[in-house]
Amino acid sequence: MDKNLRKKIVAMITKAGEGHIPSSFSIVDIINTVFSGHLKFDSKNPEWEERDFFVLSKGHGGAALFVVLEKFGFITQQDLDSYGTFTGILGGHPDRTKVPGAEASTGSLGHGLSFSVGIALGHKIRKAANKVIVLVGDGECHEGTVWEAALVAQNLKLDNLCCIVDVNGSAAQILPHPNFPGQWQAFGWNVLETDGHDEAEISAALTRFENMRNGKPTVILAHTVKGKGVSFLETHGPWHHKIPNPQEYEAIMKELSE
Amino acid sequence: MRNTFVDTMLEVGLVDPKLVVLVGDISHFALQPFADACPGRFYNVGICEPTIIGMSAGLAAAGFYPVAHTIAPFIVERSFEQIKLDFCYQELGGTLITVGSAFDYSGLGCSHYCYDDFALMKALPETEVLYPAMPDEFRELFKQTYRNGKLTYIRLPGRKHGHEIPAGEIRLGKAVTVKGGKDLTIVAAGPHLRTALDSVPALAGRKLDAEIIYPHTVKPFDYQAVRESVARTKRFLVVEEHSQFGGVHDEVMRAVCELDGVAGAAINIPDKFCHGYGSYEEHCQHFGLTVDNIVAKALALCKSAS
Repeated sequence: MDKNLRKKIVAMITKAGEGHIPSSFSIVDIINTVFSGHLKFDSKNPEWEERDFFVLSKGHGGAALFVVLEKFGFITQQDLDSYGTFTGILGGHPDRTKVPGAEASTGSLGHGLSFSVGIALGHKIRKAANKVIVLVGDGECHEGTVWEAALVAQNLKLDNLCCIVDVNGSAAQILPHPNFPGQWQAFGWNVLETDGHDEAEISAALTRFENMRNGKPTVILAHTVKGKGVSFLETHGPWHHKIPNPQEYEAIMKELSE
Repeated sequence: MRNTFVDTMLEVGLVDPKLVVLVGDISHFALQPFADACPGRFYNVGICEPTIIGMSAGLAAAGFYPVAHTIAPFIVERSFEQIKLDFCYQELGGTLITVGSAFDYSGLGCSHYCYDDFALMKALPETEVLYPAMPDEFRELFKQTYRNGKLTYIRLPGRKHGHEIPAGEIRLGKAVTVKGGKDLTIVAAGPHLRTALDSVPALAGRKLDAEIIYPHTVKPFDYQAVRESVARTKRFLVVEEHSQFGGVHDEVMRAVCELDGVAGAAINIPDKFCHGYGSYEEHCQHFGLTVDNIVAKALALCKSAS
């Protein structure tokens, strides 16, 4: 669990007064792990044709992507500092036309997997070995388009496609999937599970996907905690889109420094 | 027109390895020659139109020129958010080619009618909206647009208008003056260029000399051509298979709104669902998309001018 990235997330969202801290905490370790050795990229040439693609479909966790993009040199601390401003490149959801390394403009749920199926199909048409990793939420999996795309991906045998699901259970409080792993299996996917905050375990799951290439797409169900890392944010619904006041900000930073 | 579409895919696909065609379980037999000649670049994806649009945008992000094809309401209305966000907001180019608008599936009811495709597609920033109704028009306009980085919507009508426009004169955004005239300007879209042309003898019999303008490109619209014509004739009549909201009529109004002493009318689809079935011709009759109604509307317009 990366506390430093979490501090950056809280700082930028608090300064701007906009953003989703718990959702970003839920996925930041996953994104950090993806970029730490599992993605082929050139941060100084983000459009490099030989790159792998990472698509953040649950765009409201964009702050987690931004701090990782800054860590790996796609964007700068100055970009993070201008998060949420009219003239900055970063805001509440990623915009691929402005943010180097952001492959998709997302925000409305249920778009990223279909989009990623198209990219993965493009790699197959080019007979390129590149992979596509897309991160969706378990709540996002309420959207019917996720399952349309899941069905199509297996039919097209897109084994270069990995969908990581941020299983934080938040939306399951209103509409649970009775058998989530079984649902993906029934749609013809390889199903792996991991702790979504243990970077070694996430990395191992990604390596399994990379070595699998058995004609099926792979889903990694990453079990996470919404707000992970700060006790009073964890699993606490009202914090979903809440901005900390100065006292709360200090308390969050204190916990993240321990 | 559907044959022209599949022939053009084959013609372009043979020379451009980046052309990829995705369909939603229609036209797949017709597209088999393309599939055979361009292996790995034809996909009958399934009955999941929003995903077809999202996938097409993903292919564009991966460097391809996607063409997505199925029945108009399933692309335009069902998948509107995918068109808006996956293509337009992301500034990715591709071509959507539909059949069925406005009521070509005349016996199937409003699930298969689409009266508002121009309005919806025009409303999205930086789109192109095309309405070719002859083979050369489709072929030329497709070649001019499919790799220009924009989202291009093409409504393929079930019927042609039959008036040949030389291929060299078919240019994106340029309306065609099919016939000169001095008493009124008829702006006729799609197959109803034929209806307008067929009304010429009857209009002449009433001593009305109509100028006929044909806009195969609905967006970007040729405001200049329409404005210059109506500035002379002072009367205009729009004939189109589209809702009264957001179609060619709106563009004509925009073109002439600063002209003095102008009057106009439109024959289009009123603010009401049609619950009728029957033939295409019966639908045209119902909405007044007929020679008789063009003559009646033109007479009324010109009478009011005198």
